[in-house]
Amino acid sequence: MKNQWIQTFSGTVKVKLTGKGIERFLNHLTRNGVSIWNVKKHGSEAVTFYVNLQDVKKLRIPARESQCKIRFLERAGGPFFLRELWTNSGFLIGACLFLGLIMLLSNMVWGIEIKGASPATEHQIRKELDKMGISVGKLQFSIDNVESIQKELTDKIGALTWIGVELKGTTYHFQAVEKSEPKKAEAVGPRHLVAKRKAAIVKIFVEKGEPVVKVNEYVLPGQLLVSGVYGNEDNLKAVAASGEILGETWYSTKVELPLKSTFQVFNGNEKRKYAIKIAGKALPVWGFGKPEFSEFEAEMNEQNVKFFKWELPLKVEKTTFREREQVTRIYSREEAVESAKELARKDIKNYLPENAIIKGEKILHQSIENDKVKLITHFTIIEDIAVGQPIIQGD
Amino acid sequence: MAKKWGQYVRKWMTQKMDLPQDVMMDLPRITMIGQVHIYIENHRGLLAFSDGEVRLLIKGGQLLVKGKAFVIKTILPEEILLEGKIDQVLYISD
Repeated sequence: MKNQWIQTFSGTVKVKLTGKGIERFLNHLTRNGVSIWNVKKHGSEAVTFYVNLQDVKKLRIPARESQCKIRFLERAGGPFFLRELWTNSGFLIGACLFLGLIMLLSNMVWGIEIKGASPATEHQIRKELDKMGISVGKLQFSIDNVESIQKELTDKIGALTWIGVELKGTTYHFQAVEKSEPKKAEAVGPRHLVAKRKAAIVKIFVEKGEPVVKVNEYVLPGQLLVSGVYGNEDNLKAVAASGEILGETWYSTKVELPLKSTFQVFNGNEKRKYAIKIAGKALPVWGFGKPEFSEFEAEMNEQNVKFFKWELPLKVEKTTFREREQVTRIYSREEAVESAKELARKDIKNYLPENAIIKGEKILHQSIENDKVKLITHFTIIEDIAVGQPIIQGD
Repeated sequence: MAKKWGQYVRKWMTQKMDLPQDVMMDLPRITMIGQVHIYIENHRGLLAFSDGEVRLLIKGGQLLVKGKAFVIKTILPEEILLEGKIDQVLYISD
């Protein structure tokens, strides 16, 4: 007997034959090479049997010649099964869409909770998060990892000492610790104001105390500027002297600048690649080929795909290639001197309090040796030179 | 006369050369498995088929199979496999 598996694949049809001369018809079919199986008699003038789907056409001509009628009862096997699948494919598509939707929703941000921050700071944090692209409804793939969020928030918000960032499921939890800045010591004890460095007095503004020096006077560091003790000899009063004594001070800086310098910069060209990583194997999804940059830096970022609260063994891998360029900067002598001056100005500002003014600058020494510009600049600065010095009682 | 001669020669050859008779003599070969299956090779066509009776044309006559609940499992131009409960197998000579 033949193996019927092949027939099952190609499809079979159950045929009902009614009429006279059934036997003759069957003989005719077998002689024409139509394979027939499971022939059953139903009553005196009806018979059912199975034929291959591709043999169905061969039934027509003998059926017309004989006095029999043919009816097809059942269809089974390959092509019919496929057709059934196709008609029911809606369910399959629905199931796939459902899973996809769940997966998409599982990887979204659904909540941002901030704890331990005052309303003002919380508002600031939320604004900062919005700028970073973290808000409800965003996909987690587009968001940096937790560590970099933490770093950025601590950098940008001054009021924060520390912020703990945690991603629990679809909610970001922020635990903020605010700086409790010490209040300015309002009640200071009796004190004098003295000069902190040598200067020529430009302006005196005293709130409390008795000025001892005059404008245009030259003072040395430690010299008394405003006395905290006033009154006549019988009735001396000690107060906390306060005020602003602006003095002209002098600084000199030394700057060295090479005429030729090379450095590496990113020139803004970048290429992004996305891949899905399954069990350690990466399957590229978007962005193919090698970056056409001669020098570049690659940054890789992996993100787990979640399904509800479980993490799937599936990762979305984002690789960013940034082109790097070597830039050689060559200054002419004039340019070099100019930028050395600029550098000196920046340098001096680091030393000075914010409200200091650069009154004048003077180049004391300028030389170009070994492809380097050496510059010694003298600055005249106007700044507050007063510092408090407590009055020690009892002398 | 010629036909008889041919038959005579064939019969002689099968006897003398020990060849299987169904090949040489064009006779049906019938295999039965209990009462359940009957396998008939070298038949010449189906004459009648019903639940309880199958009539087959064979060389030199007909073969009648009687029984119950017959189903033709396979039918090919020269072979037939019949399933059911077989009671009798009869030869009907012309």
